[in-house]
Amino acid sequence: MKITIGHLYPDLLNLYGDRGNIQCLMKRCQWRGIEAETIPFELEDEIDFSKLDIVLLGGGSDREQMLVCEKLKEIQKDFKAYVENYGVVIAICGGYQLLGNYYKTEQGTMKGLELVDLYTEQGEGRLIDNIVLQSDLFDMPIVGFENHGGRTYIKENKPLGKVLYGAGNDGKSGYEGVVYKNVIGTYLHGPLLPKNPQLADWLISHALEQKYGKKIELAPLDDSQEKEANEYVYHRFVRG
Amino acid sequence: MKIRVMIAVTAAKLAGYICKKMGRQGVTWAGKIALGICPDILEQLSSQVRKGIFATCGTNGKTTTNNMLCAALEAEGQKVICNHTGSNMLNGVVAAFVLAAKWNGKIDADYACIESDEASTRHIFPRIKPDYMLLTNLFRDQLDRYGEIDITMKILEEMMQKIPDMKIIVNGDDALSAYLAMDAGNPYVTYGISKPVIQSAANEIREGRFCKRCGEKLEYGFYHYSQLGDYHCPKCGFARPELNFDAEDVKVGDQLSFRVEDKHIVANYKGFYNVYNILAAYAAVRTAGFAGDHFQDMLQKFNPENGRMEQFRIMGTGVTLNLAKNPAGFNQNISAVMQDKSPKDIIIAINDNAQDGTDISWLWDVDFDLLGEESIRSITVSGIRCQDMRLRLKYVDIPSILEGDVEKAIRDRVKDGVGNLYVLVNYTALFSTRNILKKLEGEKS
Repeated sequence: MKITIGHLYPDLLNLYGDRGNIQCLMKRCQWRGIEAETIPFELEDEIDFSKLDIVLLGGGSDREQMLVCEKLKEIQKDFKAYVENYGVVIAICGGYQLLGNYYKTEQGTMKGLELVDLYTEQGEGRLIDNIVLQSDLFDMPIVGFENHGGRTYIKENKPLGKVLYGAGNDGKSGYEGVVYKNVIGTYLHGPLLPKNPQLADWLISHALEQKYGKKIELAPLDDSQEKEANEYVYHRFVRG
Repeated sequence: MKIRVMIAVTAAKLAGYICKKMGRQGVTWAGKIALGICPDILEQLSSQVRKGIFATCGTNGKTTTNNMLCAALEAEGQKVICNHTGSNMLNGVVAAFVLAAKWNGKIDADYACIESDEASTRHIFPRIKPDYMLLTNLFRDQLDRYGEIDITMKILEEMMQKIPDMKIIVNGDDALSAYLAMDAGNPYVTYGISKPVIQSAANEIREGRFCKRCGEKLEYGFYHYSQLGDYHCPKCGFARPELNFDAEDVKVGDQLSFRVEDKHIVANYKGFYNVYNILAAYAAVRTAGFAGDHFQDMLQKFNPENGRMEQFRIMGTGVTLNLAKNPAGFNQNISAVMQDKSPKDIIIAINDNAQDGTDISWLWDVDFDLLGEESIRSITVSGIRCQDMRLRLKYVDIPSILEGDVEKAIRDRVKDGVGNLYVLVNYTALFSTRNILKKLEGEKS
């Protein structure tokens, strides 16, 4: 078995240890004897979505996000087809905002990819802190760090989780992130995946299922260190 | 007005004295009190500096460079005020002046060397109006506190333009810093290393890949480390400027040596990045008009004693303490450690207090895979976020020992280690770890 991860524009969208997410996906495949490859794409590269099993879209500075935004118009159609066909996407922070219809800031409105029906507006002040969620997809809490000026409104979509500590999508709704088909969008970095191994495995198993057309049971790994790191954050911020 | 200055100085000195007696680092308190009593105390005191004020900015190397510059000016027979401890926000800067002032509010100094936190330049620069600004480099650091690196650059450029006569002494090998100096319109001089010296790890995170002037991707002849190197823009012609102070024949090993102008510089340091720190201090002294004839003498005696590659000896174990607080700094630390080929143990202590940055994602931008080498006999992870650090190493297949208590971690390694211990810590772990090491050094075996 093999998984191919497409890392979109790491040259520009590489804030906050996104490398850790890639490293985590790769290792958790390799430890199970699943071959894993990551293809980093640059702005000038052609992307053939049919060859990708997981797409990772990270965060960048506003200026860099603008540069990417221009490019995204060209791949919007292919990307949309990939998503509608249950392709696996993990979009974080700026990448999460780009999934939606638009991101409205003081400087103007950035058009999004329109892959998920959501939108983002710049709010007053940045939401910066550790964050803990409870998601009905996993029994472990999801822990991470958020740092965003945008407030994201997901309309009728399903959120990734309920906020136990922190601000979340818009700082008010009590929810964070979005799940649409096999797409997860979230503000959580930290990076997201190493301390949330169940979420990493969700991406891997959905990618395998999608690629091989059948449910594939992932071999269990010794996640004691991952769990301890996760529990540390949970206990410090939620259970006191 | 003068009376107010005197009261402020007196009160601040008393506060500093009491804090010291209580064993606290009371520097910022003293500054806060002085500002409370006399809001323009910094203007009043700094305007008395006779010849010039240097402000040192940049992500890495500020404290070392600034203290070295202070020592270099002193070696030229100058009287200098300096915020040695690295308290680099407004209160810390005020404290440096207040504590150096006489009771009557008079300052007796030829120069001031002021390390300034980049975001705090907005509060510090308008008050002290530096004659020179030393800009070492710009890397990602504490994104939770500063936001993006673009925001830091914007603040620095604004300050440069507000003080148009301020001469910038800038690291020309850093495209971000050099761009700022060129774009701001201030007079500037550059320092750097024109030829390649060491091999840069291929997978390092590099800031500013795209030309700040036109947005095109920059091309590089070579990298020294991170984004420092020989760059040019194929579209608009933006390029590494000619280097006024160029370190040539750079040799890195147990010692550093290089040639600049007609001088041969030798320093008892490890770590390539120290070439930049030394070179920056040298360029600054020369820019102030000194011949720099005493520079090498100063270096021989210079001992920062501030946890930057500081050596300790504990019951037969040689211990080296170093600060590593962001990816660029940590990568340089790792390569300095790896220059020591003998067997060694390593302790890495990571905290996430406000001054460290509460977001520890940056750990994943450090190239820890380089530590998976045979000469490293053990790695102990410690500090508040030791669990995260252990996980980080797990994902490059490096096992580690978890010991949250730094003192216990050090004691264990001194007892069972190979006699050669490196302790790498981030900011708030630095002072406490240094105190532990000093204490252990004093204990009898």
